[in-house]
Amino acid sequence: MSGHGGPKKTIATRAIQAASLLVTFGVLYGVTRVTPELETHLGTVTAVGFLLLAGTLMSELLETIGLPHLSGYLLAGIIGGPHILHLVDHHTVTELSPVNTLALSLIALAGGAELRLETLRSVARGLAWATLIQSTFVLACMAGVFLAIARFLPFTQGMNLTALIGVSLLWGVLAVSRSPSACMGILAQTRAKGPVATFSLAFIMLSDVVVVILLALMLMLARPLITSSGSISLEDFTVLGHELLGSIAVGVTLGLGLAIYLRLVGHQLLLVLLAIGFGLSDTFAYIHVDSLLAFLAAGFVVTNLSDQGPKLLHSIEQTGSVVFVVFFATAGAHLDIPLLRKLWPVAVTLCASRALFTVVAGRISSRLAEDPAILKRWGWSSLISQAGLALGLSVVIAKAFPTFGDGFRSLAIAAVALNEMIGPILFKFALDRAGETDRHEPEVRPSLPPAPAE
Amino acid sequence: MNAIAFLLGLLVLAYLGSILVGGRAIRGFGLASGAEYLVLGFVLGPQVLSVVNRPLVETFQPVLLVGVSWLGLVLGVSYLRVGQRRVPVPHIALGVALSALVSACVSVAVFFGASYFSPLPRVEVIALAATAGIVCSETTRHSVRWVVERYGAKGPLADLAADTARASALFAALSFAVVSAWLSGAALQGMSVFERVLVSLGLGVVLGFTATLLLGREFRRDESWGILLGTSLLGTGAAARLNLSPISTTFAMGLTLAIVSPHRLDIKAMVTPTEKPVLLPLLLLAGAYVNVKLPMPLLVLVGVALGAKLLARVSCGALLSLTLKPARGVGLEFGGSMLSCGALGLAVALAFSVRHPGVVADTVLLLASVGVLLGEWLGPGALRRALARAGEIKTEIPAEGAQPTLPSQV
Repeated sequence: MSGHGGPKKTIATRAIQAASLLVTFGVLYGVTRVTPELETHLGTVTAVGFLLLAGTLMSELLETIGLPHLSGYLLAGIIGGPHILHLVDHHTVTELSPVNTLALSLIALAGGAELRLETLRSVARGLAWATLIQSTFVLACMAGVFLAIARFLPFTQGMNLTALIGVSLLWGVLAVSRSPSACMGILAQTRAKGPVATFSLAFIMLSDVVVVILLALMLMLARPLITSSGSISLEDFTVLGHELLGSIAVGVTLGLGLAIYLRLVGHQLLLVLLAIGFGLSDTFAYIHVDSLLAFLAAGFVVTNLSDQGPKLLHSIEQTGSVVFVVFFATAGAHLDIPLLRKLWPVAVTLCASRALFTVVAGRISSRLAEDPAILKRWGWSSLISQAGLALGLSVVIAKAFPTFGDGFRSLAIAAVALNEMIGPILFKFALDRAGETDRHEPEVRPSLPPAPAE
Repeated sequence: MNAIAFLLGLLVLAYLGSILVGGRAIRGFGLASGAEYLVLGFVLGPQVLSVVNRPLVETFQPVLLVGVSWLGLVLGVSYLRVGQRRVPVPHIALGVALSALVSACVSVAVFFGASYFSPLPRVEVIALAATAGIVCSETTRHSVRWVVERYGAKGPLADLAADTARASALFAALSFAVVSAWLSGAALQGMSVFERVLVSLGLGVVLGFTATLLLGREFRRDESWGILLGTSLLGTGAAARLNLSPISTTFAMGLTLAIVSPHRLDIKAMVTPTEKPVLLPLLLLAGAYVNVKLPMPLLVLVGVALGAKLLARVSCGALLSLTLKPARGVGLEFGGSMLSCGALGLAVALAFSVRHPGVVADTVLLLASVGVLLGEWLGPGALRRALARAGEIKTEIPAEGAQPTLPSQV
């Protein structure tokens, strides 16, 4: 992702970008019309190129109206995706999942590497209150809202009150999940520095762990409420405990290894990151280690137990400049627009109430923690975005409760789609208003001098 | 072996390749063409140890397609310059003419050989002859660079060798566009071969112009990666979907950038170091793709093609020694030095194998692979002797770890 700011781009530059965007869409449109049937791998290669180019150009054009780059990537994916122009089909979007794996591992590594102990100490009080209030107040309120509108939902028809309470609690957990990728994406673009940026990053990374624990807890509580034969079992917690401790242990080991490599070798980091992103993510899944947490711990160790953090962050930023565009554009292509069209009244109600309760919880926790004024005003702004983590939770819930799982998941997809589009815009707006975005120009240099004529 | 383990293996190879160009290793390390990785791939592949089986190799077809196309882009971007030095137009013309001549000789030999020896239908005979000519037409610039850097060569013959090797890529890229257009399957049925070639190259030119405009007046390295990768992948995918030649499209794109972009040197400096990291995994994959269990007539044809290539190269060298001053008195050695082939020939053979699998493609890939080994065996030695006789290098081998006396001819 390119940096924020930079020299003012002229109308001619914007016109060139717009024309190039048309060429990009035009080339793929023409090719897909000539060869509608295609071999899978060709579709994947074309789609990566298209999403990368169209995402970059769309983000540049949307920048003129103050929207974040991330919205541009999403929009390029939505327009080119299976529901509008059908330049990238469903199968191709699924085939691009390795890019998502790589992007998520880079995001978690970078997230961990951004968390410095001294910074965490400075926001510890606010973080503790925010985690407590956001995770309890928002969960309870959203469960209440879900309960209130449950009779309008087809998949809850015929459920008794206790079962509805169980399902509502699960929705509550889904509502308190955030998007580390959106947060990192906006921070990478804006290079924001300040209390809102620091708090957002620390809170969202921490909330990842909290949400995983909350989900296990709510699954345990909801099971006997929803199914008459179910009973409360602590076994889930034992498994979760092992997974969390194992993930942290593996992450610390990886972090130490990375720090040693960065110190002793320090070259070819792109290939090392690719190997980690592709190879280790799969290995972690195989040995039941939470890869997000493990990479988070690894990044944290590199930053706090060595002086190699900036080097790691710089490499991730370079690699991510390409990977993140494809990741978010693929997310855009993945958005189920017809489903959103069908479920929008309920989805809008749920998203609006979630945003309202998040703001209220943010104000309460800031007051209790005696946060600085800027944090009281904008601390909630990064918490609206939802993306892959929320969808992942909905898959887990759908698998745990197949009787209503599909409907629940569809509603989750629709709600997440809205939050995914609106959240980044709000966060960037808040960072701009808080004066934390970087206004300095990125490194630009003139071209190399031409060789003398022979 | 599963796909992830194989991918990690390829990344390790890419890592090794990046170290080789990163200046940490002695220049001239390893073999000039990277033939050892080709052999490694063959040994690990389905023909010998079966550590890497055919379906596994085939799961890496997207990587292969992207890799060969990226090589096309690198060759296009770096086509007009050796280091910072411009390649003179007469040297470009000479390099292209030599490639065309060798290609024609090989194609004719294979065509008549195949007509007599093999039971292949006429269309396949023509495809085989044309593609065999293309894969034999290239001289790898890595071999020249390897010799020049290892022995500290400097002079007009070293420059001529470097320039003609670089120029040879154009013929292969263009003629493969023609062959792919001629063989084009279901797509673009309403178009003539000429129009398909225009689409193939035109797509590259349009994307090259688009990239040039997007890179703008100022050069931002991070943004440039996104633009270059995006345009090249879009071109690769679009050309492949139309059953055209992705290598030719990306080569045209690279050449357009090299001609019109004000940042041509930055772009060249950016993409050239990626060549080895891409090439080594490709060589391994190519080795794993090689099929030696071919009918005897096709194996004989491989021998015929290599014989024709050897003869054509040596004749070209003899011809040059009569007409060009730097090559005077070293014609045979210089001709032998042009036997070295590598990246482009193999990339063409691989692309052909992926798009048109079958015995013809297997024969072409085997020819390209054996050509790489033969070139490795004969080429660098011949060039060293030619340069020594021309008085452009010291004859003794430099001590281990000695610094090269010339800047890299990237």
